[in-house]
Amino acid sequence: MGQVAIVTGASRGLGFAIAEKFNRAGAQLIMTGLNKERGKAAAARLDKAVFVQADHGSAADWDRVVETATSRFGRIDTLVANAGITHGTPTAEMSLEEFRSLNRVNLKGCFLGLKACVAAMRLHGQGGSIVLMSSIVGKIGIPGLIHYSAAKGGLRLMAKAAALELGPEKIRVNSLHPGMIRTDMTAPFPEAQMAARIPLRKFGEPDDVANAALFLASSRAQFVTGTELVIDGGWLVQ
Amino acid sequence: MSRKLEGRTIIVTGATKGIGQATCVTLAKEGARIVATGRDAGGGRATHHLVERAGGSCIFVTHDVRHEDEWENVFAQAEKQFGAPVGLVNNAGTFFVKPIAETTEADFDSIYEINVEGTFLGVKHAFRSFAKFRTKGAIVNVSSLMGQVGFPNAIAYCATKGAITAMTKTAAVEGAAMSPKVRVNSLHPGVIWTPMITSTFGDDKALSDAFAADTPLKMIGLPEYMADAICFLISDDAAYVTGAELTADGGRGAD
Repeated sequence: MGQVAIVTGASRGLGFAIAEKFNRAGAQLIMTGLNKERGKAAAARLDKAVFVQADHGSAADWDRVVETATSRFGRIDTLVANAGITHGTPTAEMSLEEFRSLNRVNLKGCFLGLKACVAAMRLHGQGGSIVLMSSIVGKIGIPGLIHYSAAKGGLRLMAKAAALELGPEKIRVNSLHPGMIRTDMTAPFPEAQMAARIPLRKFGEPDDVANAALFLASSRAQFVTGTELVIDGGWLVQ
Repeated sequence: MSRKLEGRTIIVTGATKGIGQATCVTLAKEGARIVATGRDAGGGRATHHLVERAGGSCIFVTHDVRHEDEWENVFAQAEKQFGAPVGLVNNAGTFFVKPIAETTEADFDSIYEINVEGTFLGVKHAFRSFAKFRTKGAIVNVSSLMGQVGFPNAIAYCATKGAITAMTKTAAVEGAAMSPKVRVNSLHPGVIWTPMITSTFGDDKALSDAFAADTPLKMIGLPEYMADAICFLISDDAAYVTGAELTADGGRGAD
């Protein structure tokens, strides 16, 4: 995979697992995140990887990320828009500010990133691949997560609209829908209890999602666009 | 034959034209007391007139769905005039077509605030009202066919309608746990001949014929068809239906 990839939210969890997987496959990497120390330490563990501190809800920060990628590595082939935040509140008690601050990063941030990366991909005209990190919450409901539902359902359709618009330029856009994966984000959920609802009877590993992201980003998925890849141990099929 | 919505207070947003206006008339014919809301007072008067002409009762409340204090006012007016609402039709929305490269951050923010935050605030305040008055309520969120399948040059609109589709699922599971139970469903119109479409693509017969020809049922979508679908979802006919996506598109999505 002799490519240049941007992975957002890459200093830990799913993002780091994806960055590591891409790196092993030969990709040069821009890793982004909010926490500079954690991000630099994460990039130092990989080869040909540069960390850029970024607020993903900021268009100016996205410009800086894309500029760094093109000045350091000459081009952009892949974007994995993984960065996201979550916390639960019942709908009736959620403030507009809480709803908006999550969607600024999780929904608008992905649009800004996609737009900036598409402009860079058009410079070389050789297509590209964009993976938007949705969730099973983009397809089913979970109490307390209406803001997260908005973001993840929004990304699901953003990927399809972009896939249609960008298909003629061979820029592929897909959404990934992880279920319960062992990360800091899912640490509060009781696995022993919840696994009973998952056909494969366990939470997934970040590596399971990284494998899926690598497939979608690689040329092996050259005929795959606008689709939804669900990595959930079978949760959604019941 | 008894009417399905006799004496029930139902709030309809974006009720000054198009699907919202037609919905007010259809629900009123089934006996609902209509709280029509929207930004355009002239359109509100027209809706008020149409509902009364159909034998129904209606108030119009000026309402920008982006503003939380205005949502509080809509519920307060509804309670005062007709009694606690049992239904909300989150219909208000906006639309534009632009390629990704031309869609500015301000474009994205403006469509997101109306379509996504406006819908969220409606669900939030309906849940609060239903809990306060112990109402067996129902909510219909008007998404779109474009909240189920993609459309080129509509990344922002598709994102907002995908958001509504998914928010409806979480609202449905939260509502199912309330006492009494609250149902929440989404409606997915295809191309419906309303000012939203005609102001974007043009208002002429050749165009509506072209849309009809491109639809498996070879019909142009009318706001009244959407009103009938909303009437089903908001009424007790849909007592076992929650978290569902009702597509009413003449078959476009299946084609």
